[in-house]
Amino acid sequence: MSADALKRVVLFIVFILAQGIVLGRIHLLGVATPLFYVYFVALFPRNYPKWGVLLWSFCLGILVDTFSNTPGLASTSLTLLAFIQPWFFELFVPRDSVDDLKPSLSSIGLLKYSYYITTLVLFYCLVFYSLEMFNFFNGLRWAMCVVGSTVITLALIFTFEIARSRQ
Amino acid sequence: MKNLLEFLQKYYHWFLFLVLEALSLILLFQYNSFQNSVWFSSANVVAGKVYEWSSAVSAFFSLNKNNEDLMLRNYYLERQVTQLRRLYAESTQKTDSSEVKELDYLSQYKLVPAKVISNELHRANNLMTIDKGKADGIEEGMGVACGKGIVGVTYLTSDHYSVVIPVLNSNSSRISCAIRGHQYFGVLRWYGKDASHAFVEDIPRHARFKRGEWVETNGYSSIFPAGVLVGQIVEVYNSRDGLSYKLKVRLSTDFGNLRDVVVITDKSIAERVRLKQAAKDSLRLNVSE
Repeated sequence: MSADALKRVVLFIVFILAQGIVLGRIHLLGVATPLFYVYFVALFPRNYPKWGVLLWSFCLGILVDTFSNTPGLASTSLTLLAFIQPWFFELFVPRDSVDDLKPSLSSIGLLKYSYYITTLVLFYCLVFYSLEMFNFFNGLRWAMCVVGSTVITLALIFTFEIARSRQ
Repeated sequence: MKNLLEFLQKYYHWFLFLVLEALSLILLFQYNSFQNSVWFSSANVVAGKVYEWSSAVSAFFSLNKNNEDLMLRNYYLERQVTQLRRLYAESTQKTDSSEVKELDYLSQYKLVPAKVISNELHRANNLMTIDKGKADGIEEGMGVACGKGIVGVTYLTSDHYSVVIPVLNSNSSRISCAIRGHQYFGVLRWYGKDASHAFVEDIPRHARFKRGEWVETNGYSSIFPAGVLVGQIVEVYNSRDGLSYKLKVRLSTDFGNLRDVVVITDKSIAERVRLKQAAKDSLRLNVSE
């Protein structure tokens, strides 16, 4: 297996364990849950085979669900996210960039990266919580969940990104 | 085919996405009870509606067969009903309510029950034989009735049998009968051909009555008490000389079916009638004096 695939496998396992053991149990104010594994999907570089993105995300979703005992919830949302991620990242890529550009703070700049990651995370949280609640009777709670989780997830992701770009 | 394969190759990641997404959704709906129940109930509504339509369509197509089956069943049931009715009638051998009433009415007089052993309907002058005679107290000139109404008058008696002149005889004694509820009376005659109808003649022209009213004996004869049923008025004609009405009456007695009759052996009728007549005569004489 290539180095890249191996790295990805390790990341995969780390994300799953982190989510299952630590992060999945944090519910700030009863609404906000850090959904850190979204970062895994956001890390796929440009021109990575689309079927690969889909398959990785699907498997990640399944395993995260296994830990949280909600089969199908995360996998649905992550597969959807993985479907749009390649196309979405393409929107932020400058015209003369490398073919396998990796999305990070250093590669496309703070502003663009913020837009990119915020949109992805927000989209994911919308889909995730809509599926989880499966009704909109409690509109306020739904909105609070979405916003809260987005905020806390973004906080985590930005922390990591800044740490990476410092390296 | 080649185009299809090319299309598939070009958009394979769409298909992969759809497959994975479908798989995830299946997992979602199957294992999460809330989503499962919502999905299940709405899917059930849809499935239910579809099944309703399809069953309505197939029911429509099987209507013809259903119709035939119902007809057959109906036929069998009707036959069964007829059979059962016959069995019941035979086993209970009761007369129906109107006959019972008539016999009850007559029972206040002395009666001798008899059976008709010979009967005829189709001649101009018909005769009937019953199985009771002098030994049972029957005499000539006694009235014979049945549960349904009047039958006739005894004509000849032997020790054990009697001959009766029924209504269906042009020589029958002129039985006096009246329209029920009115005093208008006439004479019962029969002219042949129709065994179910007879004529009541000499009804006065000032009489007011309707078709469908009942005609019964009025007690003016010494043979029959008042109130023995004769029949129902069917038609009204003018008499030949135009001075009175002639009523066509449907006889209540079914002469074709006759088996059980009663002979009214009550001599007191004759006595009563004679006494009444004597009283009237004497009053008339007294008044005129």
